[in-house]
Parts: sequence; C-alpha cells; structure tokens
Amino acid sequence: MRRSTAAAVGTLTGAALIVGVRLSVQPPAAPVAAPPAVDLAGGTPAPKPSASGNKSGKSPAKTQAPKTGLKDGVFKGKGATNPYGTVQVSIRIENGEITGADATYPTTADSATINPPAVAALKQETLGAKTAKDVAAVSGATYTSKSYAESLQAALDAAKA
Amino acid sequence: MGTTVSIELTPDRPDDELRALIADVCGWLHEVDARFSTYKADSEVCRFRRKEITHADLSPDMRHVLDACADLWRDTDGYFDAYATGPLDPSGYVKGWSVEVASARLLAKGSNSHYINAGGDIRMRGHHPDGGPWRVGIRHPWEADKVSWVLALTDGAVATSGTYERGDHVVNPRTGKPAQGLRSVTVVGPDLALADAYATAALAMGEPGIAWLAKRALDGYDSAVVTDDGRAFSSANLPAAV
Repeated sequence: MRRSTAAAVGTLTGAALIVGVRLSVQPPAAPVAAPPAVDLAGGTPAPKPSASGNKSGKSPAKTQAPKTGLKDGVFKGKGATNPYGTVQVSIRIENGEITGADATYPTTADSATINPPAVAALKQETLGAKTAKDVAAVSGATYTSKSYAESLQAALDAAKA
Repeated sequence: MGTTVSIELTPDRPDDELRALIADVCGWLHEVDARFSTYKADSEVCRFRRKEITHADLSPDMRHVLDACADLWRDTDGYFDAYATGPLDPSGYVKGWSVEVASARLLAKGSNSHYINAGGDIRMRGHHPDGGPWRVGIRHPWEADKVSWVLALTDGAVATSGTYERGDHVVNPRTGKPAQGLRSVTVVGPDLALADAYATAALAMGEPGIAWLAKRALDGYDSAVVTDDGRAFSSANLPAAV
C-alpha cells in the first residue's frame, strides 16, 4: 500500500517537472514554417495591464524600468545568410517583454525546395535577332565609354545629331 | 560615373529652352558624380568611407541611397550588395536613382515626353515625337548590331545587365566567384533604380535568378532573360512591341 502511493507521487512529480521544463524553453511565438512576412510595427499592440487599480501611486510598475532591460519598440536583427538565403528576424517589445517575433525567409529559387515558388517561372521562347530599325533607344549592358561608342545607341545618337 | 548619357526630348518648346533643360539634367548628373563617385577622393562616399564624416553628417540624398541599398540587399537575398567589393560602393543604385531624379526634374519643368539613357539603362515618359510609344530595343547578347526584343513604353524604366560586356567581372557576392548561367537580364518597371538593381542581382544569381525575377512581376517588374546557352525567357506582361 505505501509503496504504490510513493510510486504515484513520484510519477506526478516527474510529470510536473517535465511540464515546467517545456514551458521554460518555449520560445515566444517561434515561427515553425515559412510564414508570410509580417510587419510587426503595424500590428495591434497587446492589451497593456490596466493602471486603474494603482491610483495610490504605490505601484512602481509604470515608472520603473523593466527588469529585463529591454526597450519597447520593434527591433530588426542583422540579416543572417545561410546556404538558402538571408533570414532576418524582428521582435516586438512591450513593457520590457517580447510580445511578438517574426522572420523573413529567403525567396530565391535556390531555396525553392524549401519555400515553394509563388508563381511560375518566366516562359521560354525563341531568342530573336532583329535589326534595330524603328527603335528610339537601346537597352544593353554598356558599362564604359568605349562600349557606348560601339553600341547601337551611339549609332542612333549619331543619326539624330 | 564613367558612362555616357543620351537624352531625347520631344520638341515641345523653343530650341533654347530644350537646351536649357538638357543643361539642367547634365548639371544634376555631374553633381551626383561629384558627390557619389568612388573615384573622387573628396566625394561624400569617399569621405564617409574614410570615416571623415559620420552617419549624422550625411546629406539626405546619401541617407536615401544607403537606406535603399540596405533594402535591396535584403530584398535580393544579398545578391545586390553595396559592399560586395569591400568598401561601400553604392554605384549600382546611384546611377538609376540619379536618372529617376533627372527625369522627375524634366517633368517638373513641363517636359512630359522624353527619355534618358544612361549606359543602356533607360527612363522614359510620354511619347515619341511622332506620337507613338517609345520603342526600346534590347541588345542581342551575342550580336551587338541586333536586338532580341523590342519594347513599347510610354512611362517606365528598362535596365539591362549582361556578362557580354564585363565578362567574368560580374561577381556572385554569395560565393565571390564570377556569376554564371545568365548572359543578359532585362528588367522593365516603374523605377529605374530598382529595375537596374534587380537586373544586376538576377545576373549574379545565375539561372535561379529566372524564378526570382518571376516573383518581381507581382510588383510590376517584368523581365526578359537570355541564358549562357542561348535560351530566352520572358515574363507574361513584358511590354513587347508587335
């Protein structure tokens, strides 16, 4: 009889410990999959604790600096680059506590296996080669004055001058 | 900026006034060169590089440029990188931005039909002097005297980046190695600075850049791409002329 009671207490204690551990390591609103980017700055602030019950002025909650040392506001982390792209994390602090967290995720095609592309790729077509008649300007990779001199645009300019 | 700028205005006023408009644009572009050049030791960029001035001393234009470069670094997953070669070099944004500003200055002075072509990157408004849209050729990536697409635009920007011009000098900032896979990337959209930055970033990405560009179409930036092996791709709403 005594033995079985002790065993039950032991089990309960163990369970309580496990619950405690899980609560203490749970991150605030940790994103588990790639969510759409959320602008924390535009979000609705969490309801603030009411100050109406503290009219005596004895409660220092409103004036004292938060124990955590965190300033209120939305803060963005420096982007971290991994093989799949750049991830930037934002957090929102209210009353010295983290009340929201979000991250932007890479959208490049090399991360397509992780984040499925939202739209189809550009459609393939036949590469054309037309003479540049009836064009007013030419777009091209002309980086230097020398390459400009050799470009279709230079020829157009000469023709108009 | 080491490039040549072509300006065409629809002749909607006397010749001397047209020349004054062009002089205003040239003055602005030379001012930008003096302030943002990485080659001129007394430019704001070089003084900021040498820490002679702090962030608090920066001009509003310089702050805008730095903020835009930071946004682009994030939006391109780091493939547009003003620090790719080491010290700050915002030229990849400044060129397109300066032309955007120049076009807006022309518009403010009543010139609502013009184009400005800065080294192959073009901002245009209104109509060709004959009344139709501006027809813009995209240079063929192997045949310098041919075009691979012709676009028809009344208001917007066209920017092209290509490895045919700089060869292996286009670097993938993620690996530090020469970009491979794409030979020519053209981006069409409302803002030349962004179109230019997107084209440069996609070129650095290589072939994955095609799918990345497809997503930019959702924001109004269409594109046309040629791969190293001669395949051509274009987005559904590319304003190709018939």
